[in-house]
Amino acid sequence: MIKTAFINNIPFNFSEGEMILSFVRKYFEKDYIPTLCDAQNLEPFGSCRVCTVEVALQKNGNTKTVASCHTPVIEGSYIYTHSEKVNKIRKNIVELVLTDHPLDCLTCEVNNNCELQTVAAKVGIRDVRYPEGKNHFDRKKDLSHPFMTSDLAKCINCFRCIRACDEVQGEMVLSMAGRGFDSQIIKSNNNNFFESDCVSCGACAQACPTSAISDVFESKSVIYDKKVRTVCTYCGVGCNLDVAVSNGNVKSIQAPYDAEVNNGHTCIKGRFAFTFYNHPDRLKTPLIRKNGELTPATWDEAYDFIAEKINEIKSKYGPDYISGISSARCTNEENYFMQKLFRAVIGTNNIDSCARVCHSPTATGMQRTFGTGAATNSIDEINNTDLILVTGANPTNAHPVTGAKLKQFAMKKPMIVIDPRKTELARYAKYHLQLKPGTNVAVLNMMLYYIVEEGLEDIEFIKNRTEGYDEFKNHILNQNINELEKISGVNKELVKQAAIAYAKAEKAMSFHGLGVTEHLQGTYSVMLLSDLAMITGNIGKKGVGVNPLRGQNNVQGAADMGCQPHQGAGYLDFTKPEIHNLYEEFYGVKLSQKIGYKIPEMFEAMVEGKLKAMILMGEDVVQTDPNSNFVIEALSKLELLVVNEIFMTETAKMAHVILPASSFLEKSGTFTNGERRIQRVNAVVDPIEGTKPDGQIVIDIINKLGYKQADYNPETALEEISKIVPFFAGVKWNELGINGKQWPVMPDGSDTKILHKETFKRGKGKFQTATWHESPEITENKKDFPYILTTNRELEHYNSGTMTRRTNISQIVPDDVLLINPVDAKKHFIAEGDMVCVMSVRGKIDVKAHITDEVEPGILSSTFHFPLVKMNVLTSEISDTEALCPEYKVVSVNIRKSKGVYQNV
Amino acid sequence: MHNMETREKIQFKPETVAEINRIISQFPQGKQKSALLRILHIAQHEFGNWLSVEVMDYIAEFLNIKPIEVYEVASFYSMYNLNPVGKVVLEVCHTGPCCLVGAEKMIKHIEQTLNIKPGETTSDGMFTLKTVECLGACGYGPMLQIGEDYHEKLTIEKLDNLLNVIKNKNN
Repeated sequence: MIKTAFINNIPFNFSEGEMILSFVRKYFEKDYIPTLCDAQNLEPFGSCRVCTVEVALQKNGNTKTVASCHTPVIEGSYIYTHSEKVNKIRKNIVELVLTDHPLDCLTCEVNNNCELQTVAAKVGIRDVRYPEGKNHFDRKKDLSHPFMTSDLAKCINCFRCIRACDEVQGEMVLSMAGRGFDSQIIKSNNNNFFESDCVSCGACAQACPTSAISDVFESKSVIYDKKVRTVCTYCGVGCNLDVAVSNGNVKSIQAPYDAEVNNGHTCIKGRFAFTFYNHPDRLKTPLIRKNGELTPATWDEAYDFIAEKINEIKSKYGPDYISGISSARCTNEENYFMQKLFRAVIGTNNIDSCARVCHSPTATGMQRTFGTGAATNSIDEINNTDLILVTGANPTNAHPVTGAKLKQFAMKKPMIVIDPRKTELARYAKYHLQLKPGTNVAVLNMMLYYIVEEGLEDIEFIKNRTEGYDEFKNHILNQNINELEKISGVNKELVKQAAIAYAKAEKAMSFHGLGVTEHLQGTYSVMLLSDLAMITGNIGKKGVGVNPLRGQNNVQGAADMGCQPHQGAGYLDFTKPEIHNLYEEFYGVKLSQKIGYKIPEMFEAMVEGKLKAMILMGEDVVQTDPNSNFVIEALSKLELLVVNEIFMTETAKMAHVILPASSFLEKSGTFTNGERRIQRVNAVVDPIEGTKPDGQIVIDIINKLGYKQADYNPETALEEISKIVPFFAGVKWNELGINGKQWPVMPDGSDTKILHKETFKRGKGKFQTATWHESPEITENKKDFPYILTTNRELEHYNSGTMTRRTNISQIVPDDVLLINPVDAKKHFIAEGDMVCVMSVRGKIDVKAHITDEVEPGILSSTFHFPLVKMNVLTSEISDTEALCPEYKVVSVNIRKSKGVYQNV
Repeated sequence: MHNMETREKIQFKPETVAEINRIISQFPQGKQKSALLRILHIAQHEFGNWLSVEVMDYIAEFLNIKPIEVYEVASFYSMYNLNPVGKVVLEVCHTGPCCLVGAEKMIKHIEQTLNIKPGETTSDGMFTLKTVECLGACGYGPMLQIGEDYHEKLTIEKLDNLLNVIKNKNN
């Protein structure tokens, strides 16, 4: 029903429950009513009273002054936004604020972009009438932190920073201590930023209307020539960033409020970890290995060297002796050309990407159950669900913006976390199933068992939308629950409660990460998660589904573009004759139909002499792939190793040719985030001198090898892609808009938020069964290596840390650490900060101990952000049986206190 | 990440734990934070009449809330001492009505007699002087509070007498 109220005597429609401020803003400009404590991504608060209006219940009736931000509109009421009384109140309030605010605007960091300044101007302050009294001008600036700054002399107690910390990030680091004149913002226990629990997301700095809280890059200052909107290069959330450029250099980054993905929020990496881009370590000239030394060369020399070598190896051994690994950090267009180089120009399907080592089991598993491997729903549907299941994921560290949303959810509604570590989400979750690493299949089978046993299946959904249920049910009911309880170490009553909660929730949404996939039984775990969704009818509508939290910014895109050895661009199966013909016709050349090597198979083939050349686009396999010593041995057998890189990585050090590439800030294209959203990446600055975008490098090599391809241009590239990748059919560079489009994008340009709405991609959803097996890593090694090491991520660093280590983040997290339970630490006489020698059957390393109850006794966890520590010397080459994703999450190790520092063997 | 080594020192007595659990049980499940004010009083009583950061962290852990949620509350109320205090805390009202009838004179007299400023403690650890807002005894000012006792309609003589009595009692 439409209701009406009057703004300055003119009638307007409002919706039930709407606040006066948002009602007025709907029809007038945003700053029509001035505000101080209101912020667009925060709840109304009503603290500053600057938004005061007069309200009468009838025309010319008695009025009452109310704060418009948190007062609901009354039907038929008369709202006066600029009456004499209101103007006077506003002016008085701002005048009082100014009695305790330094009037040093001309030298202030936010001069000309200060909300207090704007509001003061707007209400017309000409003088502060009150005599100088006590004030807080002598508060010291806090410059302790590498990114966050505060100057609380400028604070106007509007609570926006505190609310941003609570409502957006959910960190609760900031608060107001004391009262009255003594009120002041505190950071944890009144520490400075550096010593507080601050996670440096920067939400408070962006929320602060003055310069009371800001950042070292002065992101609120007006010192910039232009702002360019682009997409973050770190995780798969795909935050939009507003990058300020001054004098051709990146100055600072803010998060745009109109971004559907991140709504004005981002994390430490997105906001602050950009200074790597012009770090002195950047590679700026091609290098060719001559007499064992990498020596500078021209681009032409490098390309000629590569072309000659490739042609030589091709004619000597054949095209299948050449392989490539594409990069999930690069754009869709670049990935497309990379696979085109291998398939259409070199003539082999030996092309893979790092999706292999993260979510390939998701793709395989969900293709078998649903028909496609992508996330079924969208992240913002967190707001439309009743229960969330998070399995093997630590999003508050690895996907911070989605993590923050999940944390907000967990504070209000039930969440189930399945994770061997007591992650931040686990601490908030109603149910934490703290299983032993490597037992996901056991726990998920238990959950399915209880749902069937309790008769909580969605019979209707199962009947209409799925197949294979009878066989599945039979299998599930034959599980030995007591044994699974023993295997997983999770109390079966707790599993039962969680299973019932999941099944009974009106809508339940599932998220999972690498804790599901990077296992011997990764694909099987994913299929069981799909089963859970299908058996409860949680698929094909808003607020449900199975949603992999994709690791890298464009890992979805790398696979979409065909950087995998068994499917071409668009996941089409080239072993089928009609598809093969389609590709041959499209590329205009003869193509191979032989399925290529997956990444782990590539290393084995190198050792066996079956692979002689490799082109790596921005991937540091030595540091990030498991069993580093084996990877090094394999790469050293190659006759040609080409690496496109921005820095001299551990892998690049082994290359025969290094080609200096441009970073994400220096090129254009598209990234596809974890919810299938194709977003525009816009070049912010010119490529650093001496570098080229990976796409141009690949196209140069393509041309050198005799295939005609026009220069790298995202617009024309997308045009080509849209003709071969079915779900990109309607994607056009100029029509992507600021928020991108979620594939499948129809020829008419309309996109898709939710998959499998009417039918599954494969027709009917297929129930799949799985039986738990212990990893041979444990069965073979547990006697000598009784501890289980699992790998995780820190919020502050990204993967191999190549970029984040070259920013001031290193001051915050300077090292990998080994998480160890106090019980185990005591047993081995290990104290906080001691060096610990960790040994697996493959090697040993030294790493610093951090004693914590985040891990259970018998379980250890660590990261591989730092090359010095060489964590992946320990990890095993055992992989998921179906998708060959390496088992980073289960490593049998032993520990002892070590005296040495970084004496790696 | 919680460092496990810093714990163990601070712990409520078992009977206090029982009492606190009883208080918590009076609130709906998940709203245990509502018990915070009363628990802070109990903690202050049990741990030397003041709330150290360690004590507040312990309470936060006990209630499963963030430490800062304890700090913000404890720092808001003048009844909680965030620094060590003397055996006897003189809380002198310095709100308008009391000031009109001489509260400032009383405060000055205590400052001179005991040689401390508001917020300070005598070197023998006996007295702490605090100035506080209205204690709701406006008709009987100037006044001060010691523990749960009010001392009203103060004069210099009454004040001297009061301080002496306390000193003698505690010697």
